[in-house]
Amino acid sequence: MLEMTTDTAHADRARARERRKDLIQKFAALGSLVMLVVVFSATSNAFMSLGNGMTVALQVTSIAYLGLGATCVIITGGIDLSVGSVLALSGVVAALLVKAGVPVPIGMLGGVIMGAICGAFNGLFVTRMGLPPFIATLGMMLVARGVALQITGARPVSGLGDSFAELGNGALFRIVRMGSDGFPDIVFPGIPYPVIIMVVLAVLVAIMLSRTSLGRHIYAVGSNAEAARLSGVNVNRVKLFTYVLSGALAGLTGCVLMSRLVTAQPNEGVMYELDAIASAVIGGTSLMGGVGTISGTAIGAFVIGILRNGLNMNGVSSFIQQIIIGLVILGTVWIDQIRNRR
Amino acid sequence: MNVAAEQGAPRTVRPQFMADEPLLRLNSVGKRFPGVIALQNVSFDVRAGEVHAICGENGAGKSTLMKIVSGQYRPDEGEIFLDGREHHFASTLEAQAAGIAIIHQELNLIPHLSIAENIFLAREPTRGFFIDRARLAADSQMALDRIGLALKPRTLVGSLSVAQQQMIEIAKALSLNARLLIMDEPTSSLTESETVHLFRIIKELRKAGVGIVYISHRLDELAEIADRVTVLRDGRTISTDDFAATTIEQVVAHMVGRDLDDVFPERKSQPTNEVLLSVSGLTRREVFGPVSFELRRGEILGFAGLMGAGRTEVARAVFGADPVDAGEVQLKGERLSIRSPIDAIRNGIAYLSEDRKGNGLALQMTVAKNITLANVEAVSGTGGFIRFEDEAKVARRYVDALGIRTPSVNQITRNLSGGNQQKVVISKWLFRESKILFFDEPTRGIDVGAKYAIYELMDRLAAQGIGVVLISSELPEIMGMTDRVAVFHEGQIAGVLETRKTNQEEIMHYASGRIAHA
Repeated sequence: MLEMTTDTAHADRARARERRKDLIQKFAALGSLVMLVVVFSATSNAFMSLGNGMTVALQVTSIAYLGLGATCVIITGGIDLSVGSVLALSGVVAALLVKAGVPVPIGMLGGVIMGAICGAFNGLFVTRMGLPPFIATLGMMLVARGVALQITGARPVSGLGDSFAELGNGALFRIVRMGSDGFPDIVFPGIPYPVIIMVVLAVLVAIMLSRTSLGRHIYAVGSNAEAARLSGVNVNRVKLFTYVLSGALAGLTGCVLMSRLVTAQPNEGVMYELDAIASAVIGGTSLMGGVGTISGTAIGAFVIGILRNGLNMNGVSSFIQQIIIGLVILGTVWIDQIRNRR
Repeated sequence: MNVAAEQGAPRTVRPQFMADEPLLRLNSVGKRFPGVIALQNVSFDVRAGEVHAICGENGAGKSTLMKIVSGQYRPDEGEIFLDGREHHFASTLEAQAAGIAIIHQELNLIPHLSIAENIFLAREPTRGFFIDRARLAADSQMALDRIGLALKPRTLVGSLSVAQQQMIEIAKALSLNARLLIMDEPTSSLTESETVHLFRIIKELRKAGVGIVYISHRLDELAEIADRVTVLRDGRTISTDDFAATTIEQVVAHMVGRDLDDVFPERKSQPTNEVLLSVSGLTRREVFGPVSFELRRGEILGFAGLMGAGRTEVARAVFGADPVDAGEVQLKGERLSIRSPIDAIRNGIAYLSEDRKGNGLALQMTVAKNITLANVEAVSGTGGFIRFEDEAKVARRYVDALGIRTPSVNQITRNLSGGNQQKVVISKWLFRESKILFFDEPTRGIDVGAKYAIYELMDRLAAQGIGVVLISSELPEIMGMTDRVAVFHEGQIAGVLETRKTNQEEIMHYASGRIAHA
């Protein structure tokens, strides 16, 4: 039957097209990442080194943590603008707890829980009160920042001790040998703890999204919330979960950042939410919801991180950097739009 | 079967030897998309003052053809003549300027603007930099008067019913001096009385010399208005006939390429006396109620009535999708407390929405993921990890059992035809092992062959002891498929009738409120 054959042929082509689109998207992001590495290696001798690689990875961690949460929230069709402020509040809370004599791990856990609570409020504003996510998290952005400034008197919290610095500055597999000249010789700088945490979290969230029923529900809510509700998906609970996850990850980001500086800055993390959203969007997450992957977001985070690092090494001013990153975001999203229009 | 395209001679209106050229004539138009021949050697014409119906199953090429006529696509071969002159439309604007207007199934109106602003969108009468409000009001009033629509030009379009919005689209097309009006499934969301009104307008337009191309799946309504009918199949014109000289059966036979002796399958299921679902006094203030009915095991119960009579609302309330103010729902004699769809689904109640794309499917997700959407837990292990092999196996089982036409279970549901999408939604509820299924307009916008398959499936489900509620605006469907029919009128059940002992006229009497609570 003619109809049958054209039907399947058509579907085959549609499938091939989908696959190609997927590849183009992945390669567009991945390709630009590779291109950046090549260009920066050529223009700067110091760029392509193990040490700098670790530096970039370390710098990327905060964008990546926030990007993981942002991806989940955006897939449900929401947005979280509060993470920059929430990370500051969480870091400050963790520092104040440690100052008050709480053991460092417990204090930091407190910071993460603080972030999760902020996320829970975001989620309840969106689900119970029916506020648009943009407004709900914009409000939280102001409130969390204000609280962080208020409880610290807008002063940094310092004198936190060496153990507070361990999470942000420690590394695994650091190999130091005594050199013949009697000075320690760093054979391998080690893998910073934040980088290890980033990899572990990315893998966990990726598995959650792609392999579990919870992840399936996250995509379903973003794809068609009403269809999901009528299929028995607890839409509110799913949304709430993504905001709590995003908040908790912001809390963790705050702890790691403050630990690296060994100081808790209530002014830390301003505009980080935009980096997080940008990394998700560069990685192909659709702001309309229903579409997005963690691998894409990871690539997006590294695109931003490497751009910053490479431009720094080439002595490009931070103003020009902003311009370039802005253009990159516009370019990738534009490519995404063209791709979707076809 | 290859019926030659026949240039049907009009029997009464105009003898063929008259030299007047038809309004629109297509000569062996073809259109290819990469790898697919969408249209091949399609010829047909529309005369001024006739209603020309275009029939064909989904994928037969109707929409491609209409997109060519309205300037959205350019044909790869063939010619288009308007008033005997060849035209190449580069855009819909050019086609519009030439007097061709299309009214899509999805209406293109802006709900936040008024009727007047919609009719004259992007061509507002102006005085200097400002909109000439007086003229806007006067001109749009004229446009409304022309089709006898008693609405105020300043009313917001968003507050109108679908039928009224459609009338606004017609008024807009006429204000553009359209001489050829293409209507794509105009009655698919209209009630019987609204359809009557639409037909009256169509007949007046015909009298005024407008040529109308009318696309519809509802074949029975063609008899009312169509002068000629052209059947498309697989991108080819199969036949063009005077409507008076053909029969619906023949049209259907041309459409499917085989004889379909009946539109409805023979019912094999037998209703039992065991009451499955009992609803009493269900009320939602200002929407419906009190409503009471019983559904038996293995029964197909019809919900008939006019649009807005409360059929969908009652189904959604039983399903927990909308809140209720009073009333009781019992399942096998046990009282249920249903606060959300989650509760209903847990008790084996399922609801297939009339708005497949809006409420039924996650279109960006695959066939397999949609089928398991209401029951992912069943293919998940500990910790909520989905077993993908099991999921694919389940999906393939339903794809085979229901004959879903898809190249693979990993196909995105957006790419499926309407009938196959509907089968995916049904699969979702079957996999959930539902005991009670509410089908809300399950065959709307679906072609004849797929409709038959859905009917067969409903019968098979009933035979398995499932209780089926069929909500339908098409009385033949109610007559052909149900055991009993509850007729709704203004939020209440006006009567419950044995389908075998009633007829369409009686149902209409109940639906229009002329008989109440017999």
